[in-house]
Amino acid sequence: MLASYNWLRELTGSDLSADEMAEKLTGLGLAVDAVTAFGTGLENVVIAEVRSKAPHPSKDKLTVVEVFDGTDAHTVVCGASNVPEPGGLVVLARVGASLPGGLAIAERALGGVTSRGMLCAEDEIGVGSDHDGIIVLTREDTTAKLGTPVATALSLSDSVFDIALTPNRPDCLGHLGLARELSAVMKSTGVRTTLTESFSIATVQRASGEFDAGGATFGIAIESSERCPRYAGAVVRGVTIERSPFAVRYRLHVLGVRAINNIVDATNLAVFEWGYPTHAFDLDKVRGQHIVVRVAREGETLTTLDGVRRSLQGDDVVICDGEGPVAIAGVMGGQSSEITGATRNVFIECAYFDPRSVRRTARRLGMHTDASHRFERGVDPGAVPSVLHRVAGLITSNAGGTTVKEALDVVAGKLTETKLTLRSSRIDTVLGTKVPLKEVGEILNALGFKTTPTVEGFNVSVPSWRPDVLREVDLIEEVARVRGYDKIPTEVPHVRASATGTANSIRFVRRLREQASAAGLFEAVNYGFVSMTDLSNARVSTDAVRITNPLSEDRSVMRTSLLPGLASALRRALRHQAGHAALFEVAHVFVRNAGAALPDEHVMLGILLGGARPAWLGQAGEYDFFDAKGALASVLAQWRHGVGRDGLTQGAPIVAHLHPKRCANIVLFGSVVGTIGELHPDVVSAMELVGRPIYAEMHVGELRAAIEKGDIAKARALPKFPSATRDLAVVVQEDIMASQVADTIRNASDGLIEDVQVFDVYRGENIPQHHKSLAFHIVYRDSNATLTDEKVDRAHKHVTERVSAQLSASLRS
Amino acid sequence: MSDDAVKEFEEGLAKVEASFRSQLDACGDEQSLRAVNARIAGPTGELTGLLKLMPKLPGDQRKVLGQKANALKSAVSAAFDTQLLAIAKAVRDAELSGPHLDVTLPGRNERTGSLHPITRVAYEIMDVFTSLGFDIVDGPEIDLHENNFDKLGFPPDHPATDMQDSFFINAEAGQKQRSLLRTHTSTMQVREMQKRKPPLAIVAPGQVYRRDDDVTHSPMFFQLEGLLVDEGVSFAHLKGVLTRFAQRMFGDNVPVRFRPSYFPFVEPGGEVDIGCMICRGYEGTKEALARQAECRVCKASGYLEVLGCGMVHPVVFENVGYDSDKYTGFAFGLGIDRIAMLRYGISDIRWLYENDVRFLSQI
Ligand SMILES: [Zn+2]
Repeated sequence: MLASYNWLRELTGSDLSADEMAEKLTGLGLAVDAVTAFGTGLENVVIAEVRSKAPHPSKDKLTVVEVFDGTDAHTVVCGASNVPEPGGLVVLARVGASLPGGLAIAERALGGVTSRGMLCAEDEIGVGSDHDGIIVLTREDTTAKLGTPVATALSLSDSVFDIALTPNRPDCLGHLGLARELSAVMKSTGVRTTLTESFSIATVQRASGEFDAGGATFGIAIESSERCPRYAGAVVRGVTIERSPFAVRYRLHVLGVRAINNIVDATNLAVFEWGYPTHAFDLDKVRGQHIVVRVAREGETLTTLDGVRRSLQGDDVVICDGEGPVAIAGVMGGQSSEITGATRNVFIECAYFDPRSVRRTARRLGMHTDASHRFERGVDPGAVPSVLHRVAGLITSNAGGTTVKEALDVVAGKLTETKLTLRSSRIDTVLGTKVPLKEVGEILNALGFKTTPTVEGFNVSVPSWRPDVLREVDLIEEVARVRGYDKIPTEVPHVRASATGTANSIRFVRRLREQASAAGLFEAVNYGFVSMTDLSNARVSTDAVRITNPLSEDRSVMRTSLLPGLASALRRALRHQAGHAALFEVAHVFVRNAGAALPDEHVMLGILLGGARPAWLGQAGEYDFFDAKGALASVLAQWRHGVGRDGLTQGAPIVAHLHPKRCANIVLFGSVVGTIGELHPDVVSAMELVGRPIYAEMHVGELRAAIEKGDIAKARALPKFPSATRDLAVVVQEDIMASQVADTIRNASDGLIEDVQVFDVYRGENIPQHHKSLAFHIVYRDSNATLTDEKVDRAHKHVTERVSAQLSASLRS
Repeated sequence: MSDDAVKEFEEGLAKVEASFRSQLDACGDEQSLRAVNARIAGPTGELTGLLKLMPKLPGDQRKVLGQKANALKSAVSAAFDTQLLAIAKAVRDAELSGPHLDVTLPGRNERTGSLHPITRVAYEIMDVFTSLGFDIVDGPEIDLHENNFDKLGFPPDHPATDMQDSFFINAEAGQKQRSLLRTHTSTMQVREMQKRKPPLAIVAPGQVYRRDDDVTHSPMFFQLEGLLVDEGVSFAHLKGVLTRFAQRMFGDNVPVRFRPSYFPFVEPGGEVDIGCMICRGYEGTKEALARQAECRVCKASGYLEVLGCGMVHPVVFENVGYDSDKYTGFAFGLGIDRIAMLRYGISDIRWLYENDVRFLSQI
């Protein structure tokens, strides 16, 4: 909503500066986002009078004009065709002037004539959009002396507030509503509004009526009283369609509205004053001289003012004349009855339409108009007679003519008044401060609420322009708002502890994230939606939740895995020469849940490594499985006590997105909590990655459950006796895992082995094909005695034999 | 024979005695020192060779010569130790006064990971509220229409309920069963109040979705919802908690301004502006005011809008089965992305969701 500072000042009689007024409005909840100054930068642009004009001696279309600015005469060459006769008033930009558009006025020779200055068009000095001719003024537009700066002469100086109006305040979609708010907060005498009533309005409480429209009878009938509870009309005869006076055009200009003609401008001015859209029809084009308000019939069409032919539906409300639709109620008028230069007689419509009905139609037709914007939010049904008077008054003062002395106001539906009870104690409870009842009453009265004192507070009638006030608490807000939120004390409460506290699951996720970032992984945050192709390329579940109205096919289903998002981040890194990426993400995946209202959502942890492993100075090859496994072990470090270094990954999972021979289950305390492995080569190419990225995904809930199931590690006394270490290198077949050998070693001794660690894997010379050599450090220790060499040798020999026998391993020396 | 032996022995000793000190002292490094020492006193050294001759010496002289030889051996050993120390000291002195280690080479095994800026900011915010006594809760990103709108008091045809603005999952289902990607974390108000009775103090961070996509709007972004419900909770408490939050988050001196605004599920509703942390115009000095005048983030206003808030609308209490006359409460919501953008100077919201490793490793 744009609002003029000058207009508000006129209505309130306030002497606040523009900035002060903006601050007051913001403090009332009518947030002023921006203040734009108008009428500035017009030094040396003055009112002047035409002394003489003559055609240019050599150039067609140019006129040589002599103008007088009260002190000096200036010869100006002008290209406009509307230079007035001598005595006419124009706007002169003198030599030295610098116009808002950046144009600097200097002496200029044009076909041998020296032009000293410029006669200005509206757009050239930023007072309108007209560029068809220069500004021609009359003494009705200004009484200022010649030579008066144009800003003063035409009262151009104004500030326009851009107010971010919340949808609950339709009453503030007009200057009167804003002025009412300002008056309440400034405790001033109220809004100064002038309403001349030059005709009478007959209000009838039934569905239809007729009135004498100046010789002919005009009928109004409401067939859809729920959609249109009230419809009033008046007739103005004998108008002359012209441009509006400068002041009207300028006021509309600062409010961002293009002036059209003196009738349309009058209705627009009323919109900005009362917040109430009305519509002016060319009376002589209203066929049958009557209006019917009804729902549209399927198949009906109407060409609206913007020239678009609209198909109507049974849910739309239309204004019809004797033959068919002439306007879409509350949205836009039709072309057939539009005001034109030939219009002599005008029918003014002022009606109240159901906000929801207007909204549905406007949305369906994709038409967001000034009218629909206001009707959707709810105009003031009680204001209908006043607005009708005002629009008729503006039209006659703008365009001449007279209003027919009788007008008709058909009230077919119910107009209810909201009555509320306000308890003083409740105000104090909600606001946390005592507000004197006297002040409460004053505030409500200033806003137009009628109050009757009761034992507890007030009985309150809500004015018809406040559809948003429906409950006691709404009145409390009015009081808080007008007093100012800064009047409410600031008090930190003692928050009572809840029985539950923050769930372990939430604290766990945080620790997981912190561990993952400390392990050297960067956290990614991806959108929850992906494309079906992303899912199929990643070879993860495509049984995904679909969005009915996605922004694009790229983001049309909810992710079933974190892989597509992380893969796209890796792809981005590789494409942009980042060389590598080590990423993780903790987020929801979505699983369809047939029969249930909502899908299942699981929190997952995804880890993706790809590209060159960063090394200390120089290159160290590509990330491989063991980098990912190491990262995983670091992430889980604080929970995986007691899980041997080799115990984290076991067995091969059956998941389509991983390399079938280079993947593993992630196992913690006996539970499988996820999978890890190189991406399947087909996935790598489908997702346009390169190399061998490694991906791990874990179900965070299952991970936490496994950890909670696992025992808490207990501290043991440190050993008193020394250990002895022996190495063992064995050659085994490729498919025997190091952990299998280590387990065999451990099981082969009678409690003397403390630790087994693989320290070398070797393939190549002297090792048969499909075999590998594994070397282990075996730490022997007797917790009760110092081991003798003999005892260790014996145990080691036993271990060696068992490994050879059980794993068909041969020793390697 | 034995006289010769005695003579040879004595000459040998004299030779060692005469030269060992100068030989050892001449060594400049440990390696040569050890080599020289080995030549004298090592297993095959001169002195060791002499000592091996001892049994051949006549018995009457053996004792005297033996003592002499052992004394010499001790002297060699002492000289060796002294020179060893001297060399070590020289090495240490040389290093202490020598060129500096190139400490600018990178550290080994650097772990350069990080939390996403949104996560970092979210945890920081949560820490403030948990220290004030709030619990953290979470919930689904896909929720029922009624939790997202109806129970919060949105009228049935509120613009937000439109297909234009929200992502629906099964728009064709009946109103009750309709689900959508939550448009705000306010769903958590409904969910938590339906789950438990007052007193209730929660904050709920999480993803929310709206059908916008441009420089300042991302179709997915992060919000944090807060809710406190108990007997006697007032707007003054709302101001207290949010002022405390703003000051812990943005600095003790940051000004906090409450002004009326509108959200369907609160009444009275408000918006919280805090002093712009980019220009810090609120410091009031000439320099600060000059910064404010130039500040594009707050558009020279000196304030930034960071929170929506208000007293829980009684209709919400009624919809979740709370006694709206007995209990009062306040709710608030803030955009985590926005705070992250302010904090890290991020001008395009989409950077937050591109996961460019170059971006992630910047901040
Ligand atoms: Zn600033």
